[in-house]
Amino acid sequence: MTVRPPSVIPTDQVEGLVAAVEAAQTADDLTDAVEALAAAAHPDAVPCLIEVLGFNNPGAAVAAVDGLVAIGEPAVAAILRNLDDYNYGARAWGVRALAGIGDLRGLETLERALAQDIGPSVRRAAARGMGQLDPVGLGTGERQALAGRVLPQLEAARADGEWIVRFAVAVGLEGMARWWRPDPSQRLLTALAALADSERETVPVVRLRAVLAQARLRGEAPWPSP
Amino acid sequence: MFADPSRGVDPGQPITEQEALARLRQQEDPGQRYYAAWWLGRMRSRHPDAVPLLIDALAVRGTAVDSAAGVNEPNAIARNAARALGKLADAAAVPALLTALEDPDDGLREAAARSLGELGAIEARRPISRRLATGPEWAGSVQPGSSRLQEPCEALLEALGMIGLAGEDDPDTLLALVRPYVDHGRPLIRAAACRCLFQLSGETHWVEQLRALLLHEQLQVRRAALMDLAATGWRPAGPAIAGTLAENSLKLIALRGLVEQSPEHDPQATWPSAAEIDLLNAMDALL
Repeated sequence: MTVRPPSVIPTDQVEGLVAAVEAAQTADDLTDAVEALAAAAHPDAVPCLIEVLGFNNPGAAVAAVDGLVAIGEPAVAAILRNLDDYNYGARAWGVRALAGIGDLRGLETLERALAQDIGPSVRRAAARGMGQLDPVGLGTGERQALAGRVLPQLEAARADGEWIVRFAVAVGLEGMARWWRPDPSQRLLTALAALADSERETVPVVRLRAVLAQARLRGEAPWPSP
Repeated sequence: MFADPSRGVDPGQPITEQEALARLRQQEDPGQRYYAAWWLGRMRSRHPDAVPLLIDALAVRGTAVDSAAGVNEPNAIARNAARALGKLADAAAVPALLTALEDPDDGLREAAARSLGELGAIEARRPISRRLATGPEWAGSVQPGSSRLQEPCEALLEALGMIGLAGEDDPDTLLALVRPYVDHGRPLIRAAACRCLFQLSGETHWVEQLRALLLHEQLQVRRAALMDLAATGWRPAGPAIAGTLAENSLKLIALRGLVEQSPEHDPQATWPSAAEIDLLNAMDALL
């Protein structure tokens, strides 16, 4: 991720937005209040946004994840501290936030989630997140080493029993091209082949996604704007 | 819609197909049979014994599986067997499912109807129509002392839509039979009727009503509309699906439906069309 402009919202205004989240009485009010807080993208909002992840309110949780991703690096340590092993839904949203931020400190969490989490929604977020890593400051050799660690894990997850995880693996493999240097296209095309092949992949939408990823790696299809 | 068996029987240990078949074959432990029936459907077993064993299990009545563990639906083994038979895509199951469609247990009729729809069983069109023919006033009325309807209208309507009009010589009568259900008091029945009418007639105003339900105030209704749109494959619903306030998992299933169920989707195609790339990009953002 690129460096974000700092939030222009003054701190006392963030306090007001946090208070509005805490005062919300209905699910819709909560979602609206969290969206307003998330839009501020202010580091002071982090504890409140993390708390919202545990509320079992999908609309509010989506907004909170967006807010945490917008805050980015300053939110990572708090998210890692608060990954709640007992609240399944909150953990899934936390992994989604880490995946969206792409900070390398979250990699171990993504790895564990992809390999072991019982929830397909968590595994899919982790697979996508591995393609969204943001290895700022790493040179080519370090990026090679990182790819050598990540690629086998995504390759293993091609055998996941859930179609949506395999779909996310195709997205993750495509995304690795954004940070893997030098050009990894051949390795990634090979890794995607199993997901693009109708003999080995039964779900049409997974195959189409893998084919699209291959086309992008070959320069035959446009990349979506990041 | 599969009942989650995980509360009834230890789901922690993965079992093999042979083990599942053995558990379904034995008669002593109903909980094991219940779980095995679910397993064979979930895993899309292709073993030649699977369908005959499930047909046998479909005849089991009245076994309370394990009320202490939370599985106490009536005829639990038969219902799970009916659900599994819909997943196994074997027309040999159709006669037994047609028998189950006449059972006094409306929950078993519901499971049988869904599976007959999944199997695209043309033979089921008449018996399903007969059950709906009394209209919302009777078939769609609430059973005394229960929240359940006299007939499992949602499943019956959805099955009719999936079976389609192949071989039907009087489509107008069939459409006229379904149409009153779009005014049913329950939004889930309205959604099922709209879905069915779109699948039978191709008229887009039905599916536009379905799309409007994505904004319904109840999450349960929004979820049902997502699944119904998935079944129609109506691609203009894509942006509305992506923006629905519901779990991303369901939105992803719905968008997959728009890719795969659309008449524009070419199963032989090795390349996504421009419309499909838009849907795939929308799915990326929900992962």
